[in-house]
Amino acid sequence: MTKPIYISSASAISPQQTYEDEGLLNEIVSTDNGELYIKEPNFRKYINPVAIRRMSRLLKMGICAGMNALEQAGVEKPDGIITGTGRGSMTDTERFLLDMIELDEGALTPTSFIQSTYNSINGWLALQTKSNGYNQTYVNRGSSFELAVLDAQLLLNEGDEQQHVLAGCFDEITPDYVRVKSKIGYWKKPTVNNLELYKNSDTNGSIAGEGAAFFCLTNKPENTICSIEQLHIIQEDSIEDVSTVLQQTLAGINLNDIDIVLSGMSGDVRFQPFYDTFLSNLSDKTSVAAFKHLCGEYDTSTGFATWLATELFKQQSLPEVLAAKQGNSGSVNNILIVNHYTLNSASVILLKKN
Amino acid sequence: MEELKNTLKQQIIESLNLEGMKPEDIEDSAPLFGEGLGLDSIDSLELMVLLERNYGIKIEDAREGRKVLESVDAMAAYIQANRKI
Repeated sequence: MTKPIYISSASAISPQQTYEDEGLLNEIVSTDNGELYIKEPNFRKYINPVAIRRMSRLLKMGICAGMNALEQAGVEKPDGIITGTGRGSMTDTERFLLDMIELDEGALTPTSFIQSTYNSINGWLALQTKSNGYNQTYVNRGSSFELAVLDAQLLLNEGDEQQHVLAGCFDEITPDYVRVKSKIGYWKKPTVNNLELYKNSDTNGSIAGEGAAFFCLTNKPENTICSIEQLHIIQEDSIEDVSTVLQQTLAGINLNDIDIVLSGMSGDVRFQPFYDTFLSNLSDKTSVAAFKHLCGEYDTSTGFATWLATELFKQQSLPEVLAAKQGNSGSVNNILIVNHYTLNSASVILLKKN
Repeated sequence: MEELKNTLKQQIIESLNLEGMKPEDIEDSAPLFGEGLGLDSIDSLELMVLLERNYGIKIEDAREGRKVLESVDAMAAYIQANRKI
Protein backbone atom coordinates (compact mmCIF):
# COMPACT_ATOMS: atom_id res chain seq x y z
CA MET A 1 0.00 0.00 0.00
CA THR A 2 1.46 3.35 -1.01
CA LYS A 3 1.57 6.31 1.39
CA PRO A 4 0.61 9.84 0.30
CA ILE A 5 3.31 12.17 -0.95
CA TYR A 6 3.34 15.94 -0.76
CA ILE A 7 3.73 18.80 -3.23
CA SER A 8 6.08 21.50 -1.88
CA SER A 9 6.08 23.69 -4.97
CA ALA A 10 4.68 23.86 -8.48
CA SER A 11 5.71 25.66 -11.64
CA ALA A 12 4.02 25.72 -15.02
CA ILE A 13 4.82 27.19 -18.39
CA SER A 14 1.61 27.12 -20.40
CA PRO A 15 -0.33 29.01 -23.06
CA GLN A 16 -1.60 31.22 -20.22
CA GLN A 17 0.42 33.61 -18.07
CA THR A 18 1.18 31.01 -15.40
CA TYR A 19 4.91 31.40 -14.85
CA GLU A 20 6.02 33.63 -12.01
CA ASP A 21 2.63 35.33 -12.20
CA GLU A 22 1.21 36.98 -9.16
CA GLY A 23 -2.40 35.92 -8.76
CA LEU A 24 -4.16 33.21 -10.69
CA LEU A 25 -4.90 33.63 -14.38
CA ASN A 26 -5.12 37.40 -14.35
CA GLU A 27 -4.93 37.65 -18.14
CA ILE A 28 -6.62 34.95 -20.17
CA VAL A 29 -5.39 34.05 -23.67
CA SER A 30 -8.19 33.62 -26.15
CA THR A 31 -7.73 32.34 -29.70
CA ASP A 32 -9.85 31.11 -32.58
CA ASN A 33 -7.12 29.27 -34.48
CA GLY A 34 -7.31 25.95 -32.63
CA GLU A 35 -3.69 25.96 -31.42
CA LEU A 36 -2.48 27.09 -28.01
CA TYR A 37 1.28 27.72 -27.86
CA ILE A 38 3.03 28.57 -24.60
CA LYS A 39 3.74 32.11 -23.46
CA GLU A 40 7.53 32.16 -23.35
CA PRO A 41 9.11 33.42 -20.13
CA ASN A 42 12.65 34.79 -19.87
CA PHE A 43 14.48 31.49 -20.39
CA ARG A 44 17.87 33.07 -19.72
CA LYS A 45 17.12 33.35 -16.03
CA TYR A 46 17.92 29.65 -15.55
CA ILE A 47 19.93 28.72 -18.65
CA ASN A 48 23.34 30.12 -19.48
CA PRO A 49 23.79 31.84 -22.86
CA VAL A 50 26.27 29.25 -24.19
CA ALA A 51 23.88 26.37 -23.54
CA ILE A 52 20.65 28.10 -24.56
CA ARG A 53 21.69 28.69 -28.17
CA ARG A 54 21.51 24.96 -28.84
CA MET A 55 18.23 24.27 -27.10
CA SER A 56 14.84 23.84 -28.67
CA ARG A 57 11.74 25.44 -27.18
CA LEU A 58 10.72 22.29 -25.30
CA LEU A 59 14.09 21.94 -23.60
CA LYS A 60 13.97 25.53 -22.48
CA MET A 61 10.41 25.08 -21.19
CA GLY A 62 11.26 21.96 -19.23
CA ILE A 63 14.47 23.26 -17.70
CA CYS A 64 12.95 26.59 -16.66
CA ALA A 65 9.83 25.03 -15.11
CA GLY A 66 11.97 22.43 -13.32
CA MET A 67 14.51 24.92 -11.96
CA ASN A 68 11.73 27.28 -10.93
CA ALA A 69 9.94 24.53 -8.96
CA LEU A 70 13.19 23.71 -7.15
CA GLU A 71 13.85 27.37 -6.41
CA GLN A 72 10.36 27.82 -4.96
CA ALA A 73 10.84 24.78 -2.71
CA GLY A 74 14.33 25.87 -1.68
CA VAL A 75 15.79 22.58 -2.91
CA GLU A 76 19.15 22.89 -4.66
CA LYS A 77 19.89 19.23 -5.33
CA PRO A 78 16.89 16.88 -5.62
CA ASP A 79 17.23 13.21 -4.62
CA GLY A 80 15.58 12.18 -7.88
CA ILE A 81 14.37 13.64 -11.18
CA ILE A 82 11.38 11.89 -12.76
CA THR A 83 9.48 13.19 -15.75
CA GLY A 84 6.87 12.18 -18.27
CA THR A 85 6.38 13.21 -21.87
CA GLY A 86 4.06 11.94 -24.55
CA ARG A 87 6.29 12.88 -27.45
CA GLY A 88 9.46 14.60 -26.27
CA SER A 89 10.99 17.28 -28.44
CA MET A 90 8.98 17.24 -31.65
CA THR A 91 11.01 20.14 -33.09
CA ASP A 92 14.29 18.24 -32.80
CA THR A 93 12.77 14.95 -33.91
CA GLU A 94 11.29 16.54 -37.02
CA ARG A 95 14.55 18.36 -37.82
CA PHE A 96 16.60 15.21 -37.40
CA LEU A 97 14.27 13.04 -39.48
CA LEU A 98 14.01 15.65 -42.25
CA ASP A 99 17.82 15.90 -42.35
CA MET A 100 18.03 12.13 -42.67
CA ILE A 101 15.74 12.20 -45.68
CA GLU A 102 17.19 15.28 -47.36
CA LEU A 103 20.83 14.28 -46.85
CA ASP A 104 20.26 10.60 -47.56
CA GLU A 105 21.39 9.67 -44.02
CA GLY A 106 24.76 11.39 -44.44
CA ALA A 107 26.32 14.44 -42.69
CA LEU A 108 23.78 14.58 -39.89
CA THR A 109 24.25 17.18 -37.17
CA PRO A 110 24.49 15.85 -33.61
CA THR A 111 22.51 18.53 -31.77
CA SER A 112 18.99 17.76 -32.95
CA PHE A 113 19.60 14.03 -32.49
CA ILE A 114 20.88 14.48 -28.92
CA GLN A 115 17.98 16.71 -27.99
CA SER A 116 15.34 14.61 -29.68
CA THR A 117 15.91 11.91 -27.06
CA TYR A 118 13.18 11.90 -24.43
CA ASN A 119 15.48 12.10 -21.41
CA SER A 120 17.34 15.17 -22.61
CA ILE A 121 15.58 17.53 -20.19
CA ASN A 122 16.27 15.21 -17.26
CA GLY A 123 19.92 15.18 -18.22
CA TRP A 124 20.14 18.95 -18.32
CA LEU A 125 18.34 19.27 -14.97
CA ALA A 126 20.69 16.72 -13.40
CA LEU A 127 23.75 18.54 -14.74
CA GLN A 128 22.47 21.90 -13.62
CA THR A 129 21.61 20.72 -10.08
CA LYS A 130 24.55 18.27 -9.83
CA SER A 131 21.98 15.64 -8.91
CA ASN A 132 23.32 12.12 -9.42
CA GLY A 133 20.30 10.39 -7.91
CA TYR A 134 17.54 8.40 -9.57
CA ASN A 135 16.73 9.81 -13.00
CA GLN A 136 13.91 8.54 -15.19
CA THR A 137 11.67 9.69 -18.04
CA TYR A 138 8.38 7.98 -18.83
CA VAL A 139 7.10 8.05 -22.39
CA ASN A 140 3.68 6.50 -22.24
CA ARG A 141 1.39 8.78 -24.21
CA GLY A 142 -1.55 9.99 -22.09
CA SER A 143 -0.26 8.32 -18.91
CA SER A 144 3.28 9.72 -18.99
CA PHE A 145 2.85 12.34 -16.26
CA GLU A 146 0.88 10.00 -14.03
CA LEU A 147 3.55 7.29 -14.30
CA ALA A 148 6.24 9.80 -13.36
CA VAL A 149 4.26 10.78 -10.25
CA LEU A 150 3.61 7.13 -9.40
CA ASP A 151 7.32 6.36 -9.66
CA ALA A 152 8.10 9.38 -7.46
CA GLN A 153 5.58 8.09 -4.94
CA LEU A 154 7.22 4.65 -4.86
CA LEU A 155 10.66 6.23 -4.47
CA LEU A 156 9.53 8.58 -1.69
CA ASN A 157 7.74 5.74 0.10
CA GLU A 158 11.02 3.80 0.39
CA GLY A 159 12.73 5.68 3.21
CA ASP A 160 11.84 7.44 6.45
CA GLU A 161 14.28 10.30 5.98
CA GLN A 162 12.99 13.33 4.11
CA GLN A 163 13.64 13.19 0.40
CA HIS A 164 12.85 15.59 -2.40
CA VAL A 165 12.00 14.48 -5.93
CA LEU A 166 11.59 16.81 -8.87
CA ALA A 167 8.73 15.42 -10.96
CA GLY A 168 7.23 16.96 -14.04
CA CYS A 169 6.06 16.74 -17.59
CA PHE A 170 6.48 18.49 -20.91
CA ASP A 171 5.07 18.33 -24.42
CA GLU A 172 5.09 20.66 -27.39
CA ILE A 173 3.18 21.08 -30.62
CA THR A 174 4.65 21.95 -34.00
CA PRO A 175 2.84 22.93 -37.20
CA ASP A 176 3.62 19.50 -38.71
CA TYR A 177 2.36 17.67 -35.62
CA VAL A 178 -0.92 19.61 -35.74
CA ARG A 179 -1.27 18.92 -39.47
CA VAL A 180 -0.64 15.18 -39.15
CA LYS A 181 -3.00 14.75 -36.17
CA SER A 182 -5.63 16.73 -38.00
CA LYS A 183 -5.84 13.93 -40.55
CA ILE A 184 -6.99 11.47 -37.89
CA GLY A 185 -9.57 13.75 -36.33
CA TYR A 186 -7.71 15.12 -33.32
CA TRP A 187 -8.81 18.71 -33.83
CA LYS A 188 -12.18 20.36 -34.22
CA LYS A 189 -13.25 21.32 -37.75
CA PRO A 190 -14.32 24.07 -37.84
CA THR A 191 -12.40 25.09 -34.77
CA VAL A 192 -13.91 27.02 -31.88
CA ASN A 193 -12.63 29.74 -29.58
CA ASN A 194 -10.63 28.06 -26.83
CA LEU A 195 -12.69 29.68 -24.08
CA GLU A 196 -15.79 28.04 -25.53
CA LEU A 197 -14.16 24.61 -25.88
CA TYR A 198 -15.90 22.57 -23.20
CA LYS A 199 -19.25 24.13 -24.07
CA ASN A 200 -18.91 22.87 -27.65
CA SER A 201 -19.00 19.13 -27.17
CA ASP A 202 -21.19 18.16 -30.11
CA THR A 203 -18.41 17.43 -32.63
CA ASN A 204 -15.28 15.30 -32.76
CA GLY A 205 -11.90 16.70 -31.79
CA SER A 206 -10.41 19.32 -29.50
CA ILE A 207 -7.81 22.10 -29.81
CA ALA A 208 -4.04 21.53 -29.75
CA GLY A 209 -2.02 22.56 -26.73
CA GLU A 210 1.33 22.26 -25.02
CA GLY A 211 3.16 23.05 -21.81
CA ALA A 212 5.53 22.04 -19.05
CA ALA A 213 4.70 21.58 -15.38
CA PHE A 214 7.10 20.62 -12.60
CA PHE A 215 6.62 19.84 -8.93
CA CYS A 216 8.92 19.40 -6.00
CA LEU A 217 7.58 16.32 -4.19
CA THR A 218 8.51 15.10 -0.74
CA ASN A 219 7.54 12.44 1.81
CA LYS A 220 6.98 14.80 4.76
CA PRO A 221 3.92 17.09 5.08
CA GLU A 222 5.65 20.12 6.67
CA ASN A 223 5.64 23.30 4.54
CA THR A 224 3.83 21.70 1.63
CA ILE A 225 0.81 22.80 -0.40
CA CYS A 226 -1.12 19.55 -0.64
CA SER A 227 -0.85 15.79 -0.65
CA ILE A 228 -1.40 13.38 -3.49
CA GLU A 229 -3.82 11.02 -1.79
CA GLN A 230 -4.73 8.78 -4.70
CA LEU A 231 -3.48 8.24 -8.23
CA HIS A 232 -5.16 5.90 -10.66
CA ILE A 233 -3.98 5.17 -14.19
CA ILE A 234 -6.36 3.47 -16.57
CA GLN A 235 -5.29 1.86 -19.84
CA GLU A 236 -7.86 -0.30 -21.61
CA ASP A 237 -8.51 -1.58 -25.10
CA SER A 238 -11.63 0.44 -25.80
CA ILE A 239 -13.35 3.63 -24.71
CA GLU A 240 -16.17 1.53 -23.23
CA ASP A 241 -13.72 -0.40 -21.03
CA VAL A 242 -12.00 2.82 -19.97
CA SER A 243 -15.34 4.28 -18.92
CA THR A 244 -16.30 1.14 -16.99
CA VAL A 245 -13.00 1.03 -15.05
CA LEU A 246 -13.19 4.76 -14.45
CA GLN A 247 -16.65 4.42 -12.89
CA GLN A 248 -15.35 1.59 -10.67
CA THR A 249 -12.41 3.78 -9.61
CA LEU A 250 -14.63 6.73 -8.77
CA ALA A 251 -16.87 4.44 -6.74
CA GLY A 252 -13.94 4.05 -4.35
CA ILE A 253 -13.71 7.80 -3.70
CA ASN A 254 -16.07 9.71 -1.41
CA LEU A 255 -17.29 12.31 -3.90
CA ASN A 256 -19.14 14.18 -1.14
CA ASP A 257 -15.76 15.35 0.21
CA ILE A 258 -14.68 16.86 -3.09
CA ASP A 259 -14.80 20.64 -3.34
CA ILE A 260 -13.71 20.90 -6.98
CA VAL A 261 -13.58 18.40 -9.80
CA LEU A 262 -11.03 19.46 -12.41
CA SER A 263 -12.31 17.65 -15.46
CA GLY A 264 -10.46 17.09 -18.69
CA MET A 265 -13.48 17.92 -20.84
CA SER A 266 -11.94 18.50 -24.23
CA GLY A 267 -15.02 19.35 -26.26
CA ASP A 268 -14.80 15.98 -28.04
CA VAL A 269 -18.24 14.45 -28.39
CA ARG A 270 -16.77 10.92 -28.17
CA PHE A 271 -15.55 11.43 -24.58
CA GLN A 272 -18.20 13.78 -23.21
CA PRO A 273 -20.72 11.05 -22.19
CA PHE A 274 -18.23 9.77 -19.63
CA TYR A 275 -17.94 13.18 -17.97
CA ASP A 276 -21.69 13.75 -18.16
CA THR A 277 -22.38 10.48 -16.32
CA PHE A 278 -20.26 11.15 -13.26
CA LEU A 279 -20.59 14.95 -13.14
CA SER A 280 -24.37 14.64 -12.97
CA ASN A 281 -24.02 12.58 -9.79
CA LEU A 282 -22.11 15.25 -7.87
CA SER A 283 -23.74 17.10 -4.99
CA ASP A 284 -24.45 20.85 -4.93
CA LYS A 285 -21.35 21.29 -2.78
CA THR A 286 -18.93 20.28 -5.52
CA SER A 287 -17.78 22.73 -8.17
CA VAL A 288 -16.92 21.49 -11.63
CA ALA A 289 -14.04 23.10 -13.47
CA ALA A 290 -12.54 22.59 -16.90
CA PHE A 291 -8.89 23.20 -17.80
CA LYS A 292 -8.26 22.19 -21.41
CA HIS A 293 -9.78 25.42 -22.74
CA LEU A 294 -6.74 27.14 -21.19
CA CYS A 295 -3.94 24.71 -22.08
CA GLY A 296 -5.31 22.73 -25.03
CA GLU A 297 -5.31 18.97 -25.45
CA TYR A 298 -2.00 17.10 -25.18
CA ASP A 299 -0.58 13.96 -23.63
CA THR A 300 0.51 15.49 -20.33
CA SER A 301 -2.19 18.11 -19.77
CA THR A 302 -2.87 16.65 -16.29
CA GLY A 303 0.42 18.28 -15.27
CA PHE A 304 -1.20 21.64 -16.00
CA ALA A 305 -4.32 20.52 -14.07
CA THR A 306 -2.18 19.55 -11.07
CA TRP A 307 -0.44 22.94 -11.14
CA LEU A 308 -3.89 24.57 -11.35
CA ALA A 309 -5.02 22.58 -8.30
CA THR A 310 -2.07 23.86 -6.23
CA GLU A 311 -3.05 27.41 -7.17
CA LEU A 312 -6.71 26.80 -6.26
CA PHE A 313 -5.63 25.54 -2.84
CA LYS A 314 -3.69 28.78 -2.35
CA GLN A 315 -6.51 31.00 -3.66
CA GLN A 316 -9.33 29.09 -1.90
CA SER A 317 -11.76 30.03 -4.65
CA LEU A 318 -12.64 28.99 -8.19
CA PRO A 319 -12.22 31.72 -10.86
CA GLU A 320 -15.18 32.12 -13.21
CA VAL A 321 -13.04 31.33 -16.25
CA LEU A 322 -12.58 27.77 -14.96
CA ALA A 323 -16.03 27.10 -13.59
CA ALA A 324 -18.44 24.91 -15.51
CA LYS A 325 -20.52 24.78 -12.32
CA GLN A 326 -20.01 26.72 -9.08
CA GLY A 327 -20.68 24.61 -6.00
CA ASN A 328 -21.47 25.92 -2.54
CA SER A 329 -18.56 24.39 -0.65
CA GLY A 330 -17.04 27.75 0.30
CA SER A 331 -13.52 26.37 0.72
CA VAL A 332 -11.05 24.32 -1.32
CA ASN A 333 -9.66 21.36 0.61
CA ASN A 334 -10.09 18.41 -1.76
CA ILE A 335 -9.64 18.47 -5.53
CA LEU A 336 -10.24 15.56 -7.85
CA ILE A 337 -8.63 15.61 -11.31
CA VAL A 338 -10.37 13.34 -13.79
CA ASN A 339 -9.01 13.11 -17.30
CA HIS A 340 -9.90 11.06 -20.32
CA TYR A 341 -7.30 11.10 -23.08
CA THR A 342 -7.82 9.77 -26.60
CA LEU A 343 -9.58 6.45 -26.95
CA ASN A 344 -7.99 4.24 -24.36
CA SER A 345 -6.52 6.04 -21.40
CA ALA A 346 -7.72 7.99 -18.39
CA SER A 347 -6.50 9.03 -14.98
CA VAL A 348 -7.82 10.09 -11.59
CA ILE A 349 -5.74 12.15 -9.14
CA LEU A 350 -7.03 13.05 -5.67
CA LEU A 351 -5.32 16.00 -3.96
CA LYS A 352 -5.86 17.18 -0.40
CA LYS A 353 -4.86 20.59 0.97
CA ASN A 354 -2.37 20.67 3.84
CA MET B 1 39.76 34.41 -49.78
CA GLU B 2 38.08 37.30 -47.91
CA GLU B 3 34.74 36.42 -49.47
CA LEU B 4 35.16 32.79 -48.43
CA LYS B 5 35.97 33.82 -44.84
CA ASN B 6 32.89 36.02 -44.65
CA THR B 7 30.66 33.26 -46.02
CA LEU B 8 32.23 30.81 -43.59
CA LYS B 9 31.62 33.10 -40.62
CA GLN B 10 27.98 33.46 -41.62
CA GLN B 11 27.67 29.68 -41.90
CA ILE B 12 29.28 29.21 -38.47
CA ILE B 13 26.85 31.68 -36.89
CA GLU B 14 23.84 29.97 -38.47
CA SER B 15 24.98 26.43 -37.83
CA LEU B 16 25.90 27.02 -34.17
CA ASN B 17 22.99 29.43 -33.58
CA LEU B 18 25.29 32.13 -32.19
CA GLU B 19 22.50 34.56 -31.37
CA GLY B 20 23.31 38.24 -31.65
CA MET B 21 26.67 37.68 -33.40
CA LYS B 22 27.66 39.13 -36.76
CA PRO B 23 30.46 37.93 -39.08
CA GLU B 24 32.56 40.98 -38.15
CA ASP B 25 32.46 39.91 -34.47
CA ILE B 26 34.55 36.83 -35.29
CA GLU B 27 38.25 37.55 -35.75
CA ASP B 28 39.94 35.63 -38.57
CA SER B 29 42.81 34.39 -36.43
CA ALA B 30 41.05 34.05 -33.03
CA PRO B 31 40.77 30.50 -31.67
CA LEU B 32 37.27 29.08 -32.14
CA PHE B 33 37.52 26.84 -29.08
CA GLY B 34 38.49 27.69 -25.52
CA GLU B 35 39.33 31.37 -25.07
CA GLY B 36 38.04 32.66 -28.41
CA LEU B 37 34.40 31.94 -29.24
CA GLY B 38 34.26 29.42 -26.40
CA LEU B 39 32.91 26.59 -28.52
CA ASP B 40 32.78 23.00 -27.22
CA SER B 41 33.04 19.43 -28.49
CA ILE B 42 29.48 19.31 -29.85
CA ASP B 43 30.20 22.48 -31.80
CA SER B 44 33.25 20.78 -33.33
CA LEU B 45 30.97 18.01 -34.63
CA GLU B 46 28.59 20.62 -36.02
CA LEU B 47 31.52 22.33 -37.80
CA MET B 48 32.65 18.99 -39.30
CA VAL B 49 29.13 18.54 -40.67
CA LEU B 50 29.19 22.13 -41.97
CA LEU B 51 32.38 21.36 -43.95
CA GLU B 52 30.90 18.17 -45.37
CA ARG B 53 27.54 19.66 -46.35
CA ASN B 54 28.77 22.92 -47.81
CA TYR B 55 32.21 22.03 -49.22
CA GLY B 56 32.17 18.24 -49.63
CA ILE B 57 35.08 17.90 -47.18
CA LYS B 58 35.06 14.85 -44.93
CA ILE B 59 37.59 14.88 -42.08
CA GLU B 60 38.26 11.37 -40.81
CA ASP B 61 41.33 12.05 -38.64
CA ALA B 62 40.50 13.79 -35.31
CA ARG B 63 44.01 15.25 -35.01
CA GLU B 64 43.69 16.80 -38.45
CA GLY B 65 40.25 18.09 -37.51
CA ARG B 66 41.66 19.87 -34.47
CA LYS B 67 44.07 21.81 -36.68
CA VAL B 68 41.50 22.57 -39.36
CA LEU B 69 39.00 23.95 -36.82
CA GLU B 70 41.54 26.09 -34.98
CA SER B 71 40.36 29.41 -36.43
CA VAL B 72 38.47 30.90 -39.37
CA ASP B 73 41.83 31.42 -41.09
CA ALA B 74 42.69 27.72 -40.73
CA MET B 75 39.27 26.57 -41.89
CA ALA B 76 39.24 28.86 -44.92
CA ALA B 77 42.74 27.76 -45.98
CA TYR B 78 41.77 24.10 -45.68
CA ILE B 79 38.53 24.65 -47.60
CA GLN B 80 40.35 26.43 -50.42
CA ALA B 81 42.84 23.59 -50.76
CA ASN B 82 40.43 20.66 -50.39
CA ARG B 83 36.90 21.70 -51.38
CA LYS B 84 34.96 19.37 -53.67
CA ILE B 85 31.84 21.50 -54.04
